[in-house]
Amino acid sequence: MYLKLAWRNIWRNRRRTLITTSAIVFAVIASVFMQSMNRGSHEMILDNMLRFSTGYIQIQDYRFESEPSLDNSFPFGADFEQNLYEKHHRIESIVPRIETFMLAANDYSTRGAVIFGIDIEKEHAFNNLKDRLKEGAFFDSNNQGAVLGEGLARRLQLGVGDELVLLGQGRFGMSASGIFTISGIIENPIRDLNNQVVYLPLEEAQYLLSADGHITSLLVNPVSDRHTNSVTSALRTEFENSELIVKPWPKLLPELLELFEFDLATPRLLTVILYMVIGFGFFGTILTMTMERLKEFGVLLSVGMRREKLALVVFLETLFISFIGVISGIILSWLLIFYFHLNPVELTGDAAEAVMDMGFDPILPMSFASDQFYTQGFFVFVIAMIVFMFPLIKILGLNILEAARS
Amino acid sequence: MIIVETKNLSKVYNPDTVPVHALRDVNITIEKGEFTSIVGPSGSGKTTLLNMLGGLDKPTSGEVMVNGEKITGMKDSRLIDFRLKNIGFVFQHYNLIPVFTARENVSFIMLLQNRDKNEMMKRTDALLEQVGLGDRKDARPKEMSGGQQQRVAVARALASEPKFILADEPTANLDSNSAMNLLDIMERMNREEGVTFIFSTHDQRVIDRARRVIKMVDGAIAEDTLISVEAANQ
Ligand SMILES: Nc1ncnc2c1ncn2[C@@H]1O[C@H](COP(=O)(O)OP(=O)(O)O)[C@@H](O)[C@H]1O
Ligand SMILES: [Mg+2]
Repeated sequence: MYLKLAWRNIWRNRRRTLITTSAIVFAVIASVFMQSMNRGSHEMILDNMLRFSTGYIQIQDYRFESEPSLDNSFPFGADFEQNLYEKHHRIESIVPRIETFMLAANDYSTRGAVIFGIDIEKEHAFNNLKDRLKEGAFFDSNNQGAVLGEGLARRLQLGVGDELVLLGQGRFGMSASGIFTISGIIENPIRDLNNQVVYLPLEEAQYLLSADGHITSLLVNPVSDRHTNSVTSALRTEFENSELIVKPWPKLLPELLELFEFDLATPRLLTVILYMVIGFGFFGTILTMTMERLKEFGVLLSVGMRREKLALVVFLETLFISFIGVISGIILSWLLIFYFHLNPVELTGDAAEAVMDMGFDPILPMSFASDQFYTQGFFVFVIAMIVFMFPLIKILGLNILEAARS
Repeated sequence: MIIVETKNLSKVYNPDTVPVHALRDVNITIEKGEFTSIVGPSGSGKTTLLNMLGGLDKPTSGEVMVNGEKITGMKDSRLIDFRLKNIGFVFQHYNLIPVFTARENVSFIMLLQNRDKNEMMKRTDALLEQVGLGDRKDARPKEMSGGQQQRVAVARALASEPKFILADEPTANLDSNSAMNLLDIMERMNREEGVTFIFSTHDQRVIDRARRVIKMVDGAIAEDTLISVEAANQ
């Protein structure tokens, strides 16, 4: 009956309630939309980084973090992999890599290069790397050769079939040098990699770097990102007493995440301003709803309704108004985002190029991340609580006779 | 059995600026089953007295006892519960919750008392029948006449089974037919169920229906007349 009372009370002035709820709806839609746009591109970038660079979880030697050198690599073989798959059911793929810097040279010039020794089948299973080939193949029929990032190939003016010289240092200061025939050119979606990467077959790379059977990092990918944390902690327990450490992607990409946060500052600020404006409107509504009913409150207290119960009814009213606003705002903004998902905004010019560089369609990506919806609910709820302070104080201090006279 | 008693009840409004002596040493005793009206010209202190009896206002000095319990000085929250349990109210106007139907207005009081739901519904219907609103149970206040609204207010006041009902000029906003009709209902409740009524009025026809008339002048009791049932019925 209190619910009924509160519900009917908010519709006593239908127009006012509708205006207030629409304002909340508007605020929710606007801030979800702003965030969704920003975060949509973040998700796209992050997805690339995870798939082509870091993976969801990495296992490394504990010294590798401070000193990323081949000296801090660790042995990896089939039984290692087998063991992980058997013990952890939420692992979808395991991708070994040996990674180092070398000089890449043609006949006349030299460039810095990032060497990725990879198991192409495992790599492909995780990120469809083969689909990124522009030319050639991932290694020749004897599983030998090198695949270059398009940018690096252009800079060195090398093509499929040409020879590439790699110079550098292997494990424990051994000198490393080799000549490889280029078997393919790849378009890597991460620009820096595209300009620097050389993919070698894992075993070739290990041999070149005097690191037989060793890798620098093992990418472990859970069936879903939801399981990143649980798989991480399971692995941590497993490797507790070893020299290996387990890092989930937020630890692998701290700078990127910081950048995202920074990028979200503007929509967040706008959201705060928007909610402040809406908050004042909401407050105005509750203020008038309270003031014009003081007499009624007086009657209710006279006949024996406790102040807490009366306050509860007004609290429910405040809650109803904000819930109607939040729920419809969330539904509408979801529909709006979904609409833009189905009918995407086409990007043009530089933006389009940048997105295409990363290997995506030139459309404005929208994020469906659930927290951007429920944080709105949280915001409005906080506002409702603040707004409710006014009637609460009024009711607790209401003098019955004065109320009756007003 | 004494239900309400006041001892040297005084009320001074604005004691520091322009003191108004609204009540001066009022001593009255109301017994169970009375049908008493407080009469007197406007400004004589009727409303102030009823507010004191209902625990809605605090006296400057003196005290009010209800059912043997001293309500003067009671804590606000206890007083609210006390009113819910012991006192029914009918105000001059603006009695009902506008968004509730007649039925809901009546049962709301019982809800506040945490009564059993079935009993609540039965009693609500019975009370509305008794005040002659059996066919207007689902009407909201603004769909009812002033007289009907006051009858709902009486039903609501009765719903909580109070020790007595205070009604401050319940007929002041009603035409004479509705006023007499309301009085009929109150009188019948009093006669048949022994409900104690204390109501203020300055309407002579209403005064004529009372069985005890307490006349106030200038905040003091000027006359206190008991009228025998036979006399009242003539
Ligand atoms: N809140 C108040 N402040 C100051 N004076 C008041 C107040 N309430 C009532 N009075 C005064 O007290 C006297 C008694 O008023 P009241 O009890 O309302 O009389 P009645 O109900 O008989 O008309 C009047 O002189 C009135 O002006
Ligand atoms: Mg009065």
